[in-house]
Amino acid sequence: MVQEKIRVDTLVVGGGIAGMQSALDLADQGYQVALVERDPSIGGKMIQLSKVFPTLDCCSCITTPKMSAVAHHENIQLFTYCEIQAIEENDQGFVSNALQKPRYVDVDTCTGCRQCEYACPIDVPHPFDRYLGAHRAAYVPFSTAVPQKALIDMENCILCGKCQRGCPANSIDFTQKEQPFEIESRAIILATGFEITPPDAKKEYGAGQFHNVVDALVMERLLAPTGPYGHVLRPSDGKEPDSIAYVQCAGSRDKTLGVEYCSRVCCMYAIKQAMLISGALPLADITIYYMDIRTFGKGYDQFYQTAQAMGIEFVKGKVARINEDENQNPVVRVEMIDEGSKVVERMHDMVVLSVGMLPCYDPQPIFGVRSAEDGFVLTPSINMAPCVTEHPGIFVSGTAAGPMDIVDSIVLAGAASAEAAAYLEANDGNRRSVKSTTNAARVTAHA
Amino acid sequence: MSEKEWAETLKRLREEHKETVARSQALLKEQQAKRKAIRKALEEGPRTVPEVADLTGFASHDVMWYVMAMKKFGLIEELEMDGEYYRYQLTQEKAK
Ligand SMILES: Cc1cc2nc3c(=O)[nH]c(=O)nc-3n(C[C@H](O)[C@H](O)[C@H](O)COP(=O)(O)OP(=O)(O)OC[C@H]3O[C@@H](n4cnc5c(N)ncnc54)[C@H](O)[C@@H]3O)c2cc1C
Ligand code: SF4
Ligand code: SF4
Repeated sequence: MVQEKIRVDTLVVGGGIAGMQSALDLADQGYQVALVERDPSIGGKMIQLSKVFPTLDCCSCITTPKMSAVAHHENIQLFTYCEIQAIEENDQGFVSNALQKPRYVDVDTCTGCRQCEYACPIDVPHPFDRYLGAHRAAYVPFSTAVPQKALIDMENCILCGKCQRGCPANSIDFTQKEQPFEIESRAIILATGFEITPPDAKKEYGAGQFHNVVDALVMERLLAPTGPYGHVLRPSDGKEPDSIAYVQCAGSRDKTLGVEYCSRVCCMYAIKQAMLISGALPLADITIYYMDIRTFGKGYDQFYQTAQAMGIEFVKGKVARINEDENQNPVVRVEMIDEGSKVVERMHDMVVLSVGMLPCYDPQPIFGVRSAEDGFVLTPSINMAPCVTEHPGIFVSGTAAGPMDIVDSIVLAGAASAEAAAYLEANDGNRRSVKSTTNAARVTAHA
Repeated sequence: MSEKEWAETLKRLREEHKETVARSQALLKEQQAKRKAIRKALEEGPRTVPEVADLTGFASHDVMWYVMAMKKFGLIEELEMDGEYYRYQLTQEKAK
C-alpha cells in the first residue's frame, strides 16, 4: 500500500545509472531521497548492455550491485512503475504529484519465482530484448530486475486467470488501481536519460524494414549472455553471420534528421562490439564504415588501436544507401574516401547502425525546466555548473543533459548531488528565504 | 478471495477490458496456430529455422521469433550447429 504523502530532501526522477548514482551519493551523506522510475525496474539502458568500454567489464556484474544498493539503502525510497504528473512550488520546496501504476501483483508477497509467467499463454515481444525475444503477459521484467517482482501487461492479457492459479504466493491482484500520492522535496534531480535514433529515421538505410539491419542496442542484447538468442545470430533466419558491418554516425551529425551533434559514444561502442563479436565469432569479418573515429576518453585511443591490431577493418567511407538482396543480405553502397571516392557495393550478413543519442523527455510542461536547442535539458552555465538548470532547486544528471558515456554520467551524477546538497544546506530548515543561495546565484558565483 | 469471488472478478474485468481482451484473444489464437505448426514441423526431428519456415510457409523471421520464445519457456531446445545454423528440437520429456 502506497502512503498518500511522503517527505524527502530530494526527489530523483529516472533510475538509470545517473539517477541511481545521484540518489546513492545523496543518501550516503544522510539525505532522504525518493527515486521515481517509470519502468517496472531500475537500471536504465546500462543494464541492457553486454560489456562496457573501455574495460570490457560485464555490464550486468557492475550494474546489478548498484541497483540493489539503491533498493536496500535506508535513506532511499524507491518507486518503480511510477510517474510524476505535476508539481507545485511553495515556500517549503516542491510538491510532486506521483502516480503509482498498477502491477496487478502484490509486491509485498511476490517472490519473483516466475511461475505466473510460465502459466500465462500469451507471448509478447520484449522491449528489454529490443523485441527479438518474448515475455509473457504476466512477467518479471528481466532476470536481474530490481525489484524482482512480476507485473501484468494488461494490453496483452485475456484475463484467463492462469497466472493466478499458477502463483504459489497468491500475489496476483486484478483489482489493483492506479494510486496517486504526493512527494514533498526541497530539491529535484532530473535523470531521465536518452533514447536512441528510431529505426525508421533513415529511409536510405531501409527505414527499419530490413531484418538484418539492426541498431547497436540490438547488438548489445545479442552479445549479452542473457540475450534473446543466447548467441549472435541474424534475426531474419538464425544464421550465424560471417560478415558484419557497422555504419557510423547513423543518426548523429546529420542535418536531415535535425541532429547536428556528435553522440559521443557510438565510435567507442562500435569498436567495443566489434571486439566482442570477434571473440564470439573468431572467423567473422568485421568492417566499420566511418567518417572519423572519435576516441577522446582515458584509455580510449589505445582501445581503438587494439581493435585495429585484432584485424577489424576500418574503412573511411560514407554509406549512402543500404539495400537488401533476395536472401535478405544487406548490400551497402559506400563512397570509399581513401580510394578516390570510388562508389562500391559490398554485401554483408548483417549491418549494425551506430545510432545516436536523442533526448527522451521534455521537462518543461511539468518541471518548468527548458531544454536547449539540441533538446537536452538546458544548463545555462555549461562550463562552470553543468548540472545546474535554470530553475532554482532543480538539477540535471547523466544523459538528460546531453550525450555522454557511463563514466561521464557518473561524474555528472556526483556533481548534481553535490549541487543539490549545497542547495539543501543553503536553504536549511525549510527557511528558503533566509539564506537564498538559489541556482541563479550559484551560477553567477561560479562564473 | 475465494475461488468464486475470483471468477466473478475476472468476469467483471473481462467485461471492462472488452476491447483489449478481444484483441489479445485473437493474438492468442494466431500464436497457438503458429506454435502448433512449428511443433508439427519439429515432430519428425531437429530442424533449422529456414527448414521450419519452408515446412510451415511462415516468414523465417517470424519462425525465428517463435522458436526463440519457445526456447525461452522450455518448449524447444537447441542442438549443435548444422553449417551456419543451429538446429532445434522439441524438448524431450524427461523422466522425473
Ligand atoms: C548501444 C549502446 C552501447 C553503449 N555502450 C556503452 C559502453 O560500453 N560504455 C559506456 O560508458 N557507455 C555506453 N553507452 C552509453 C550509456 O548507455 C549511457 O551513458 C548511460 O546508459 C546513460 O545513463 P542515464 O542514466 O543517463 O540514462 P538512461 O539509461 O536512459 O536512464 C534513464 C532512466 O530514466 C527513466 N525515465 C525517463 N523518463 C522518465 C520519467 N519521465 N519519469 C521517470 N523515469 C523516467 C528511464 O526509464 C530510464 O530508466 C552505450 C549506449 C548505447 C546506445
Ligand atoms: S506473482 Fe506469484 S507466480 Fe508470479 S513471480 Fe510473483 S510470486 Fe511468483
Ligand atoms: S490472466 Fe492475463 S496475465 Fe494472467 S495468465 Fe491469463 S493472459 Fe496471462
